[in-house]
Amino acid sequence: MRRLLVALLVLAGLMAATAHGERAQRGNLIVTLDGGFAPRALPRDHPAPVSVQLKAGLQTTDETTLPRVTRVELGIPGQGLISSRGLPTCRARRIRDTTTARALETCRQALIGTGRMVAQVKIPSQPAFAVQARLLAFNGKVHGQRAVIVHGISLRPPTVVVLPFLIHLRPGRFGTVLTAHLPANLGPWPRFARFEMDFYRRYTYRGRERSYISASCPLPPRVPIGIFSFAKATFTLADGRRISKGIARSCRAR
Amino acid sequence: MPRTIAITLFMAVALLAAAPAPAAEAPTRDEYVAGLEKICKPDAEATQRAMKGARGDIRAERFDVAAKKFAKATAIFGGNVQEISAEPRPSADTERLRKWFTYLNRQEAYLKQITEQLRANHPTKALRLIQRFIHTGNLANNVVLAFGFHWCSFEFSRYG
Repeated sequence: MRRLLVALLVLAGLMAATAHGERAQRGNLIVTLDGGFAPRALPRDHPAPVSVQLKAGLQTTDETTLPRVTRVELGIPGQGLISSRGLPTCRARRIRDTTTARALETCRQALIGTGRMVAQVKIPSQPAFAVQARLLAFNGKVHGQRAVIVHGISLRPPTVVVLPFLIHLRPGRFGTVLTAHLPANLGPWPRFARFEMDFYRRYTYRGRERSYISASCPLPPRVPIGIFSFAKATFTLADGRRISKGIARSCRAR
Repeated sequence: MPRTIAITLFMAVALLAAAPAPAAEAPTRDEYVAGLEKICKPDAEATQRAMKGARGDIRAERFDVAAKKFAKATAIFGGNVQEISAEPRPSADTERLRKWFTYLNRQEAYLKQITEQLRANHPTKALRLIQRFIHTGNLANNVVLAFGFHWCSFEFSRYG
């Protein structure tokens, strides 16, 4: 009974620590990254379908206006596999200036995730205000390269943004990298504050059940838990500064 | 009489010698951070070198090899904590830094236990301790978030 209580307390402590994600600060700017995947128990020797949740944000310590972000980079480890074989794609131009309902109507077959975003808008001589946007993520291609096309819509003020995240594979701890350049035509006013995205898509291709994201927990038979670098978010600011944070998570082998 | 003067002089000199040196002026937070980062940088880099491939070693069940790497990292971590804890602290941050050092000492204890468990061929226990080590590192980072440490902050990626 005492052991159970101790285990529950440790678990509660771990959950409390990850509730707001991990943070790093440079100057007056704080970057936050949180996330996870489900299920946590994964096969040791082959990938299985997973859903992935990522939350990232920026805030200032002194409540000054957030700096403008020009580039967002999200890295995930090589043991997470993005597979879009046989999954329909959505072209960015088909969902430009569309409502959420219309974007879904046009590209539902390519939907791979949903989420929301908060941006801070600072118009000169007016107090800053927050804009909330609903996000849809679609499987796509940009100049022949695999991409995640993010469609964001806010109702107040009515705004639609379509942002492609290009998928790169590269050696290193975070073998899969999603990169988005925030275009200058977004204007100087909206400042990225935070976003959260859930990625999950199962589909059938040539009679086989597939998943957009799969992962394994590659551990030897004697080791039931593995700890790995789960994600890294890097923000490049308009003044050239970069701020990043990486997080670790654990998986259980089954 | 001259004997009394001599004794008085001797006592005065002895008292002066025994008196504590004037306390070093407390640094500002920026000075403190700059001083600590200089100490932490080589240790963080040494940790990275020492721990290279440790996670792969655990995955490949080379627990004795991983234990040696963790032992090295423990020595570096312990030495670093000892060195930075001797540095004069900004007076406004005393309580916050006391908390930070408590977490750092806890992390050092976890590193020692991880090494012992790996040596004893108990990977599951070692991995559970690694989870606690990471969790404590994140708590430590939160305490000194405002300091903007780079080399002195906990980064899991430095551990293999």
